[in-house]
Amino acid sequence: MKYLPLIVKNALRNRRRTLLTTSSLAISLCLLGVMMALYYALFIGGQPAKAQARRVVVRHKVSIVFPLPLYFREKIAQVPGVEEVMLWSWFGGVYKDARDQRNFFARMAADADRLFRVYQDYVIPEEQKEAFIRDPAGCVVNKALAERHGFKVGDRILIRGDIYPFDLDLTVRGIYTSTDFDDDTLWFNWKYMENMLRNSPRLMAGGFTLLARSEQDVAAISRTIDEMFANSEAPTKTESEYTFGLSFLSFLGNIKVILMSICFAVTFTVLLITANTMAMSVRERVREVGVLRTLGFGKPAIVGLIVGESALISLLGGLLGVLVAEGLCWVVRQGPAIVQQAKTLTIEGPVFAALMGVSLAVGIFSSIVPAVSAARTSIIDALRFTD
Amino acid sequence: MSQDVVIRARGLTKEFLRDSFHIVALKDVDLEIRRGEYLALMGPSGSGKSTLLHLIAAMDRPTAGEIEVLGSNVASMADSEMAKWRNRHIGFVFQSFNLIPVLTALENVELPLKLTHLKRGERVQHAATALKLVGLGDRMDHYPRQLSGGQEQRVAIARAIVTDPDIILCDEPTGNLDARSANEVLELLRRLNQEFGKTIVMVTHDPHAAHFATHIRFIDKGELLPEGKKPEDWS
Repeated sequence: MKYLPLIVKNALRNRRRTLLTTSSLAISLCLLGVMMALYYALFIGGQPAKAQARRVVVRHKVSIVFPLPLYFREKIAQVPGVEEVMLWSWFGGVYKDARDQRNFFARMAADADRLFRVYQDYVIPEEQKEAFIRDPAGCVVNKALAERHGFKVGDRILIRGDIYPFDLDLTVRGIYTSTDFDDDTLWFNWKYMENMLRNSPRLMAGGFTLLARSEQDVAAISRTIDEMFANSEAPTKTESEYTFGLSFLSFLGNIKVILMSICFAVTFTVLLITANTMAMSVRERVREVGVLRTLGFGKPAIVGLIVGESALISLLGGLLGVLVAEGLCWVVRQGPAIVQQAKTLTIEGPVFAALMGVSLAVGIFSSIVPAVSAARTSIIDALRFTD
Repeated sequence: MSQDVVIRARGLTKEFLRDSFHIVALKDVDLEIRRGEYLALMGPSGSGKSTLLHLIAAMDRPTAGEIEVLGSNVASMADSEMAKWRNRHIGFVFQSFNLIPVLTALENVELPLKLTHLKRGERVQHAATALKLVGLGDRMDHYPRQLSGGQEQRVAIARAIVTDPDIILCDEPTGNLDARSANEVLELLRRLNQEFGKTIVMVTHDPHAAHFATHIRFIDKGELLPEGKKPEDWS
C-alpha cells in the first residue's frame, strides 16, 4: 500500500494518454459487459418468472412455422397434471410503417376465455376482461405497449395481414399489466380467426400453451404429450415456455458461439491496446527504473510498480465500462421484448466480477513483459538509456 | 579490513563488450578509502571514473578482482541483497539529478525510506529534516520542474542522505550547474563530510570541484594513477 501514491502519480503522469487508454478500455469493456450480461441472462443465470414456471408450450416438432390441428387442444387438456390449455396463433401482419422498429410487437390470436386462466400473472380489470371475451373483434394489449403507442380502451387498431389473407380491424377492450414482466404483446380473440377462415384448411393452431398444476408436473406432461402425438399427422415438441422463448434465438444462429467469439475478440483487442500503451509508458521511464534500482528498489518492486499502474488503469477503464454497459442494458430493457430476458437485462454480480477479473487480467498481462524487461535491464544500461 | 578503511579494491578489473568492441574500462585497480575521507576521482572522459563509482555502489559487478565495501564483498551478493545493501549504506548523487518528475521534493526524498520499516509519519519527518539540512525547507511541496538546477541537485543530495548512509557517491554532481549553484552544492558536500563525518567519493573533471575534497586521485585509460600523479596530457 505504501507504493500506491507512486502508482497513482505514475498512472496520471501522461493524463491525455491515460484518458485515451481508459476510454478505449471502457468502450471495449462496455461492449464485453453487454455481451456477457446477455450470455449470463440467456444461458447461465436466467430463471423463469414465477407464473411462467408452470407454463408449457406445445408446437410442431419440425418447426414453429408448421401449424397443429385444433383438436389437439382437447386431447392435451385430458393429460394428467394439465390445469388449463389454450391455443394461439402468430398473426404477424404490419402495423402502420413496418420500417419503424417501434411498430414491431407480437400480434397473437388466442382463446379469449382461457387466456387469463393460463396467464395468471396478467392483471386486468374484470369488466375489461369480460368485454374482451365477449367481443369477437376485441383485443387486449400490454400496458407498456399501450403507453408506447397511445392505445386506450375503445381505440381501433388496424393490422394489415401478410401471413394471412385478411386484415385485422380490432378494438382495444382492455389493457393488462403483468406481475412478472411486460411482454409487448397484443392478444386478439380467436373468434376473429374463426370468422375469417371459416371452412378453410388454414384454420389451425400455431401452438398451445398449457398451465400445469405444479412445476413438478412440467417434465411428465411434456413427455406424455410428445409421446401421445409421436405417430400423429403432426408430431409435437413440448417444452417449458422459458425454453421455448430461448429457441427463438436459434433463428439468429449459434448465439453461444457468436457471443463467445465477440467476447474473445474484444478481450484480445483491449489486451493489445493496453500492451501497446504500457510498452510506450515503460520505455519512456527506463532511466527512472535505473534511478529507483540505484536507490535500492529490487526487481520485484519495479515489476509491482509497473504492473500495479497498468492494473489501476485497466480497473478504472473496466469500472467505467461497466457503468456504460449498465446504461446500455437499461436501453435494451426499454426496447421491444424479442426475448423475455431482454426485459430484465442487467449487469449481475457474477458478470460484474467477471468483468473486473478481465480488466485486472488485461492490466497484468499487458504490462508483465515490459515490466520484467525493464526490471531486468542492468542499472548502468538503464541510467544510460535515452529514448 | 582495518577499522578505518571502508572501501578496499584489489586488482579490480571491468571489461565489457559494446557492439563488437571489447572495452577495458578498469584495469587492475587497487584502492583504499578511509572512513571520513572525501576523495575526488579525476580523469578525462572515458577513463573509467564512473565505472569505479558504480562498482563501489554495487550497481555493477567486476570482471575480475575484489571489492570490499564496509566489510562486505559486494560483488558476491545476490541482486536482491545488493539492492537492500545499497539502500542502507550508499547515497548516490547523479550529474543530471534524476528526480522523479511526478513527485514533489518531499516525496522524492521520502522514496528511499519506503524500503525501510518506517511508518509514513516517520518517513515524512526524516525527509523534511533532510530537506531542511540542504536548505530547502521552504520548497518541500515543489515539483522538480518548479525548482532551479541547483535546488534540484540539493533535493537529490537530500535523497542521498535521508537514509543516513555511510558513504555518499557523487557522479559529476556539478556538471549541469552554473558556477554559483555548483559552489552551493560543493559547500554542502564539504559540510556533510566535515560536520557529519560522511565518506564521500566524487567523480569530477572540474579541478575547482576537486579542490573541495581532502584527497584527489586520477584515473587514466582504466588505470588508477599513484597519489599525486596526473595523466601526461592533463592540463
